Amino acid sequence: MSLLRDDHERRICEIRHIRVRSDKNLLRKLNQTKYLWLLFLPCLLYYVVFKYAPMFGIVISFKDYNLFKGIQESAWVGWKYYRMFFENPDFMKLMRNTLLLGVYNLAFGFPAPIVLAVLLNEVKHSFFKRFVQTVSYLPHFISNVVVASMVVMFLSPTGGILHELLKWFGAANANVMMEPEWFRTVYVASEIWQHAGWETIIYLAALTTIDPVLYEAADMDGAGRFRKLWHVTLPGIRPTIIILLILNIGKVLEIGFEKVFLLYNPATYETADIIGTYVYRVGLVQGNYSYATAIDLFMGIISLIFVIAANTISRRVGNTSIW
Amino acid sequence: MKKSSARIRKWTAIVMAGCLLALALAGCAKEGGKSGADMAQKGGDPPDKKIFTMLIDSNPTFPYKKDWPIWKWIEEKTGVSLRVQLPSGKLADTLNLVIASNNLPDLMFMTDRRTANKYGQQGALANILDYTDDMPNFKKWMEKYPEMVRQALSADGKLFMFPNEGFGETNRMIWMYREDVFAKHGLKPPATFDELYEAAKQLKTLYPDSYPFSFRFGEELGIFVNLAENFETGGDIYYHFGSKEWEYGPIQDNYKKLVEAMHRMYKDGLIPPDWLSIQTKQWQDIVSTNKAFITVDYISRIDFFNIPLRKDDPSFNLAFMEPPAGWAGAKQFNPYLHTLETGLTVASTSSHITDVMKYMDFFYSEEARVIASWGKEGETFTTEGGTRKFKADFADAVDLRSKTGIATNGAYTWIDYDSQLALASEDLQKAYEQARKFDAKLQPKPAFNEQETEVLALTGEAVKKHRSENIAKFILGTRPLSDWDQYVKEAENLGLQKLLDIYKQAYARAAELQLK
Repeated sequence: MSLLRDDHERRICEIRHIRVRSDKNLLRKLNQTKYLWLLFLPCLLYYVVFKYAPMFGIVISFKDYNLFKGIQESAWVGWKYYRMFFENPDFMKLMRNTLLLGVYNLAFGFPAPIVLAVLLNEVKHSFFKRFVQTVSYLPHFISNVVVASMVVMFLSPTGGILHELLKWFGAANANVMMEPEWFRTVYVASEIWQHAGWETIIYLAALTTIDPVLYEAADMDGAGRFRKLWHVTLPGIRPTIIILLILNIGKVLEIGFEKVFLLYNPATYETADIIGTYVYRVGLVQGNYSYATAIDLFMGIISLIFVIAANTISRRVGNTSIW
Repeated sequence: MKKSSARIRKWTAIVMAGCLLALALAGCAKEGGKSGADMAQKGGDPPDKKIFTMLIDSNPTFPYKKDWPIWKWIEEKTGVSLRVQLPSGKLADTLNLVIASNNLPDLMFMTDRRTANKYGQQGALANILDYTDDMPNFKKWMEKYPEMVRQALSADGKLFMFPNEGFGETNRMIWMYREDVFAKHGLKPPATFDELYEAAKQLKTLYPDSYPFSFRFGEELGIFVNLAENFETGGDIYYHFGSKEWEYGPIQDNYKKLVEAMHRMYKDGLIPPDWLSIQTKQWQDIVSTNKAFITVDYISRIDFFNIPLRKDDPSFNLAFMEPPAGWAGAKQFNPYLHTLETGLTVASTSSHITDVMKYMDFFYSEEARVIASWGKEGETFTTEGGTRKFKADFADAVDLRSKTGIATNGAYTWIDYDSQLALASEDLQKAYEQARKFDAKLQPKPAFNEQETEVLALTGEAVKKHRSENIAKFILGTRPLSDWDQYVKEAENLGLQKLLDIYKQAYARAAELQLK
């Protein structure tokens, strides 16, 4: 008995000792790395001032926000705006549209830059490779307003270029912008066109980190191009792919409101009306900031759940995770 | 619904999306602008020299200039010089920022009454009616235009935005047709929708790749505000002057007739297949390339198309067309859309509200009306035999505005529209003359209180979406018109009656308000 207690006490002492030592360690480490911290400071400040401080603004979702009186003086209304959102007859439809559009965008939009990056990686002609890279980056810098305008005009049955092309392929009189079945295709395709090139950058960077020895070894083993692609290239960029996938899963619901808003019309509401556009119509147009904030916070929480779930699954299954 | 900028609003509104974040930040953001109070000074010479701060929106076609003569003329009469702030980005965002930061300029320009009433009821704006004792001109003006004042009142009978008169004429919308093309083929301008269909059909055979009846406000069914008037109904909730009741147009039988007529034209390719998403630029292109022969738009489009296009095709003539009746014997009207909802408001935090009100009072005098519409005698206009004439320096109304600042934001309330007409082409002047014969009555626009606004925002948005979506489908043919009764029931189930009750209640309340 006494022996046990002694043992116990000794252990506590050890733990205390370790803690003191680690405190000292921390201070010393801080001192050693003070210049690195100094370099990090602007970034930290940026996040505190522009990302964390404004978060307190979400409190207006529980208040009847009066712009003139300010957040402090506005009256508390509790869950009113959240209830309003859930009781809205369109709630399920909006959620469904948002989720589906997000999932399609992820399913088709996510692999696109990977395929493009791998293809570019196989190109041996360096001028051609750079040319393609530059051209494919460009659409990323065009604003959504312009892209949406281009899509509407190109697909217009009254003289649109793409429409002429579709007609040539036999899709007579496809009135693409008016048909709800087409909306998601148009949206996802335009997203891929706009961003796939830009998103290859990170994969191309990851590809350069693959040790050339691996390729040489594969050559020795008699592997062809596809074997090398499958057994060397793709496993080489797997961590990058998974981390980006987790981040993108968190963004499934964060569909760029403006593009949908610019592309939809009453005929395509059925598939195109998403939470973002709804918030715009009732929240911003009507000046109902509290309501808009409530919906935004709700969506933020769902996104957070998505990221955590994706991360957990990935950690359990594949040992790669963000944290 | 104000359609004047439906399309533009959609495209620019994107920027507003960033608003939520901006608002959250607003708490810490402080504008550097000084309030007018610090700068007001009392001089001895009459009239007293005063400086006010003013936030106005600058129009990209004639951007604000500090040295426009209009400011000098106003200062000569009132002694007031204005320190103008322009919004950095969108006006709505800047308004949010100045109000949230409690750092308000003395005068603020707002683009619609609802915004003014909202901020007014939140306490940010001064009630103009509290100061009418110091405003002799405005008092007289109110007696002259009681309807204009009544329209601008908030739900609790206060007046936050200075009402205007005269300049709304720019928003007049009419039917137009290609007079030269009709004449060439011996066609008669259609007087009813059946004749419209026949004429369009004939034109389609003559010009197979044309869409004879084209318009650009398909988005959110804006065009139906115009078309519904032809069928003696309303595009949305409207006041029926006959029955003295508030009614919802899109479920009425007359509206169904309109939908049928549009469906028939859509099916036969007489309206553009992408009428719901067609953009202004596309519409302009088809009108100017002989692919559209009848249209509905702002009256000024007559000069917009005729003047440049006649250089290549001297016979090109887009002219006023009488609004076609929905059926033989129906009334021929264009909706009364030529009002202007913009105006200045006064900050409740200003330290010299009375002085600001006295300054604004000047704009309601005959003298100010002449300055605001014509400028200064001798400098910009001359009077010959009782009628005023601009000097030859101004090519058109836009030129006048960009050179002098006349009729730009913040420089007018009461306008003599003849001054704008004096610079219009003969065709346009004629169109005005004809158009005025087909004015429907001005729809009352009761102001809603906060509770009502909330219901209107939620239920109203649900009803509106249901309408837009289904009417679009009926016209495209993706929902058969035999479903109409079902559609009416759906709309009713969304809470339509609640909306009508709110309109009724707000209207009754507005009618009881007494003007002081």
